[in-house]
Amino acid sequence: MTRAPAILALLLLASCGQADGPDIRLSNAWARPTIGQAPGAVYVTIDNQGDTPDRLTGAFTDHAAMAMVHQNEMVDGVVRMRMAGEINLPAHDRIEMRPGGTHIMLEGLRAPLRTGDQFDLVLKFRASQDQPIKVRVLGPEGQ
Amino acid sequence: MTGRHLRIALWVLVAVAALGGILLALQPPAPASRETGMATIGGPFSLTGSDGQPFPSSRLSGKPAAIFFGFTNCPDVCPTTLSRLVKLRRQLGRGDEALSIVFITVDPERDGPAEVGSYAALFGAPVIGLTGSPADIERVKKQFGVFSQKVEQPGGNYSVDHSASVFLMDRDSRFIATLSPEEGDAVALAKIKRLVA
Repeated sequence: MTRAPAILALLLLASCGQADGPDIRLSNAWARPTIGQAPGAVYVTIDNQGDTPDRLTGAFTDHAAMAMVHQNEMVDGVVRMRMAGEINLPAHDRIEMRPGGTHIMLEGLRAPLRTGDQFDLVLKFRASQDQPIKVRVLGPEGQ
Repeated sequence: MTGRHLRIALWVLVAVAALGGILLALQPPAPASRETGMATIGGPFSLTGSDGQPFPSSRLSGKPAAIFFGFTNCPDVCPTTLSRLVKLRRQLGRGDEALSIVFITVDPERDGPAEVGSYAALFGAPVIGLTGSPADIERVKKQFGVFSQKVEQPGGNYSVDHSASVFLMDRDSRFIATLSPEEGDAVALAKIKRLVA
């Protein structure tokens, strides 16, 4: 709640064209349904409409014990999933997480994700404030 | 060069050629191994279906199949691959009967019949989920040349690095081609079209 005035102020600054900082917008956050204790993966699109770069440093949700930014890499036909470290968000650029690449892995889900569910996720950045987003769980038709 | 010298030179050439021929004949038949390599991917196996009953590979014959090795705790690559296969089969427009999509776990310790069954049911179209004893799974992995290796994760769980390829088998369960996550859907669809033609 206390964040609202700060965000408003930032938006005002941005609209004046005087803010040089990063300007992060999140959209299209979704996940696939899961079963049992299996982890989930969230995909988010991150726009940095600002004039300076920023870095995604982590993700948090009350819906799982841990949220980690992961990347897959293919080496000799073998996929390896690893912690991604920080993700660079260049100025005036867009990072679109897509299946098979970078994603936010949710380990220890409180309940399996079901099609139609929604839950809150917060992304953390080096320069920008924390940004909340609603994640939608999409069935095969919606993906 | 006199005629005699020329004759000697020619005989030397003949000898060299003959020796070369003998050496070539003695070489192991290297090129043939590539063909046997292709033909030896796959082969009969017996695993366990999501109903807990034995699932012999003969149940797959008579219909082309796309076989993928993964694990149910795999949040990204495995569901991405299976969703892609379901989508490609839909694009084919020949119905779900045209191609079997088979998911074989490389993590039999965690994935019993119930797990592979409910995982396979997440894709909104028929997918056959298979598991087996660790020895069964090792054998099938070897038959398909599949690599997998557990990797510890923070929090005590583990992930599994594994081969990402899909194996396309024809109606007689013969290996035809792989689908790679890196090739575009157009190439993949062309391969599947040829398979079900």
